[in-house]
Amino acid sequence: MQVLWGCRRLPDLSGAKVPEIAEFEREVRLALSRAKGAFDLVQVPMPGALDVHGASSLNRFGMAIDLDACDGCGKCILACMQENNIPLSSKGERDAGRFMHWIEMHGGAPAMCFHCGNAPCEKVCPTGAASHTPDGLSTMMYKRCTGSRFCGANCPVGARKFNYVDSVKEGLARKFNPEVPLRSKGVMEKCSLCLQRLQDHKHTQMATRPGVEWRGSGLKTACSEACPKNAIIFGNWLDQDSPLVQEAKHRNLYVPREIANLDPSVVYMRGRR
Amino acid sequence: MYRILVYIGVALLLLGAFAFGVSLWEGPTAWHTDVRTFWGIPISLFVLWIGLAHAGTLISAIFLALGYPLGRRTSMVAELSTLCSLAVAALFPLVHLGIIENFYMVVPFLDARGNFSNLRSPLVWDFCCISVYGLVSLLFFATHLFSEKFPDLKKLIRPMAWLLFPLVLWVHTIVSLDFAVTFVPQWRGAFFPLYFIAGAIYSGLALVIILLTAEHCRVRVLEKLMLGLSWFMAFFWLWEFLLKGSFSFEVVFLGAVVPQLMWLRVIRENAFGRLLVAFSVLVSLGLERYILVTPSEYNAAEYFSWTDLGLVSFSLGLFTTLFFVFRAKFSSLLEGEDVVMGEIVLQQDESDKESEKVTLPEKNDFSILRLPLLIGVLVTLLYVVWAVSVENTNLAPLSVVNVAPLCLPLLVLVACFTLCARPLWGISGKRVKLVCAVLAGILGCLAGAFWAGGSSDVSSGVVSVQEVDSPKTVEFIWSSRCASCHGQDGKFNEKFVREFYPLPQKLTPVRLDTLGEDSLVKVILDGRVNMNPYRGRVSEDEARGLVRYMRHLAGEGE
Amino acid sequence: MDAILNALCCLMALGTSMFLWHRPVSIFKETGILALSLVVFGLFSYLTVDLSEPSLEYMPFRMLALCICFSTTSLTSHKTRYLVLSQVLWLWVEFFGGLTFVYHGLDMPWTRIVAIGAGAFGGAFLSHISREMEFLLMVYWIAVWMFF
Repeated sequence: MQVLWGCRRLPDLSGAKVPEIAEFEREVRLALSRAKGAFDLVQVPMPGALDVHGASSLNRFGMAIDLDACDGCGKCILACMQENNIPLSSKGERDAGRFMHWIEMHGGAPAMCFHCGNAPCEKVCPTGAASHTPDGLSTMMYKRCTGSRFCGANCPVGARKFNYVDSVKEGLARKFNPEVPLRSKGVMEKCSLCLQRLQDHKHTQMATRPGVEWRGSGLKTACSEACPKNAIIFGNWLDQDSPLVQEAKHRNLYVPREIANLDPSVVYMRGRR
Repeated sequence: MYRILVYIGVALLLLGAFAFGVSLWEGPTAWHTDVRTFWGIPISLFVLWIGLAHAGTLISAIFLALGYPLGRRTSMVAELSTLCSLAVAALFPLVHLGIIENFYMVVPFLDARGNFSNLRSPLVWDFCCISVYGLVSLLFFATHLFSEKFPDLKKLIRPMAWLLFPLVLWVHTIVSLDFAVTFVPQWRGAFFPLYFIAGAIYSGLALVIILLTAEHCRVRVLEKLMLGLSWFMAFFWLWEFLLKGSFSFEVVFLGAVVPQLMWLRVIRENAFGRLLVAFSVLVSLGLERYILVTPSEYNAAEYFSWTDLGLVSFSLGLFTTLFFVFRAKFSSLLEGEDVVMGEIVLQQDESDKESEKVTLPEKNDFSILRLPLLIGVLVTLLYVVWAVSVENTNLAPLSVVNVAPLCLPLLVLVACFTLCARPLWGISGKRVKLVCAVLAGILGCLAGAFWAGGSSDVSSGVVSVQEVDSPKTVEFIWSSRCASCHGQDGKFNEKFVREFYPLPQKLTPVRLDTLGEDSLVKVILDGRVNMNPYRGRVSEDEARGLVRYMRHLAGEGE
Repeated sequence: MDAILNALCCLMALGTSMFLWHRPVSIFKETGILALSLVVFGLFSYLTVDLSEPSLEYMPFRMLALCICFSTTSLTSHKTRYLVLSQVLWLWVEFFGGLTFVYHGLDMPWTRIVAIGAGAFGGAFLSHISREMEFLLMVYWIAVWMFF
């Protein structure tokens, strides 16, 4: 029984080989060279409040990626890996075309989970591990995941990654960020809009300025912080003072055609209105 | 004769056992998957074997229900094949899961922490439908099997057949919905329920024909049906081609062209010819399932790894072993009095049953079904109302459409138990009763474990927290970690604590004194009945600081 | 789908249903006719309905269900039972097809489903089906097909 029930549990962290940072940089360059084709983009209006009972009327977090400014350098991918302790991929994984990066280049445009308001992945998760927060994030509860991979199959843009191997045991994982857990083998993961940063920011404000509504102002995700061209803007779609809204209201917004009807919170920007 | 077949089965089983073990140990990386192929051979095998189970029920239950019963031996062989197929099929979703021990999370019932599986997901419907199908098939088989010895059971057979009739079609419909509700282009199809049912019956008929050939027996009706269904399958493949452009030469050739050989007398009358056609049908449908389940950027059919083949061999071996072991064991009960087993080749010519109506008194038959059905409908209604009203943690509304697929299985389960529990209990020997009681006890324990929920161990590889150096820091930790349930000022925060979640205790100095600082620190670190442990998220010094802060809050709160 | 195409579908279903269940009933004859009708329905749907229309996916099967419903009126034995079963088949195709549409963001055709369900439920209580009743049923099904 121990063999069956215990065999895929995450083993002791100490003693496992920890890869060097240079290996991560090398892998990002490899991923960039193997970039997938561009998305077929359609125009969409600016995201508004989530159309779900119980959704917050104050906060809906999202991002806008400026395609005119992005040059495909890949610094966002590396920053995301370091913020979220994303593991490297073994040779077998690379042969199968799989990297664990939460951001991938699709024809020069970085793509991550679009945090759809009407997410197809959340609908089909059998245990309820894939769920939506009131403030617009499509979240993943690792402990509730049983690894059925239904969500991954149903994501039209392929944003979800599955931990096929035990990255710690294989010496592929490095704990860059102590605030983010290393995922065990057999769970699904994807962009979390740096949930840990949101939580820290929120708790700090709740503790230091209780009674003030938290709108997430001043927050930046790892990718938006790392972009040298400021092409990724994080913010609150429902907050008129948010840099996201300030910028997006002058631009044309696009999303991949496959998810245009699913109310995504992450959009692309191009051209001026 | 059966011994040889059991040996073949065990050989295949052992060949595949290593692959099975590797799949359990390594997980989904053991079989072929790639960047867009999340599912693979386990799910294809699952769909295949569930489909194969259907023919058994078709022959034993549906034909019986509609008034065209086939001979006892044919029906019993078919039912036994259903049970063995289900046993094999049930293994594969478990193999497929990334974390097998979490499979209980799909059960559509609340646990003590308010975790509720997602009823919008077809996998939850699958789990329920197939469990119910397995249970009801087992009860039906037992009833049918022992009706020779205990004629009282005979009046239960037809009502149960009518219960199984819609259930079996429902089950495969739900399995097809696993694919049809998704956005994967190759899986689009509102016609998938009929497609899968047709494929299931087709492959199942082929399997039963193979098994009957092992009995030196043939039933012409089944062969004719199989041939007729091959035309339907040809249309389905044509339709798939027209809608999506997907076409596989091997599948269509083996599944639609080769079976037409049955028109040739030389093939039809020869046992090996029939076996050839039947195996061709099985291979074709197995391949078709695999190609459907693994749409990927690479050509899935060219990518059988040795583990994939090993799993196929394992499933075949397990089925063969199970089936022929039980067949030999129950041989005296399976055959009626007028059939002799062994080397004599029998031609059970079951031609058009139209002319020979089996007259069963219909009125009397179904009155015993009234009460079970009523109870079933009531329980189902209760469940639907309850499920839709559960406060959803997932921020998505659950509508009746999401719960509807669970209605029929629940109805049939309750009705079937109500119908045959008492008669079957009455005829069971002491040993069977003891086994049932033990099983019921184990089920109760498992239900309790489910209710308690899984372990709340903190994940390994934990987060680090800052050291305590000032009261401000403790207040900060309280606000961020404890306030959501205990409230900013120590009075519990009703808004965030669920209705059925016991409320945290009021903080009074008297109570805190009774408990003592050390035990309170332990409560914070290791958790309590309804409080999660904070070990790893809060250090021991911080826990101590929090306890002292609690006294401060309790003192203020007077 | 405009009314003319709808009516044509109905007519085709009616036409093919006239070939079914004539004595002597042979498995090959019946399945052959059903399979052939499916091919005809399928080609007709494919050629006349726009490919982007989602209801194209299950159109031939709806027509098949309708055809089987029509054909049950000509049965000589167990007519009530097969009447109900064929309507349940139609309900099945509509309901589960509709369910897949709901998951893709479209609506389920509830009025149609309720109408067919009512027909199936009511039909279960018919003890003797006269020719007038058969005719009424067929009109009812045609109405459900055309207007819902």
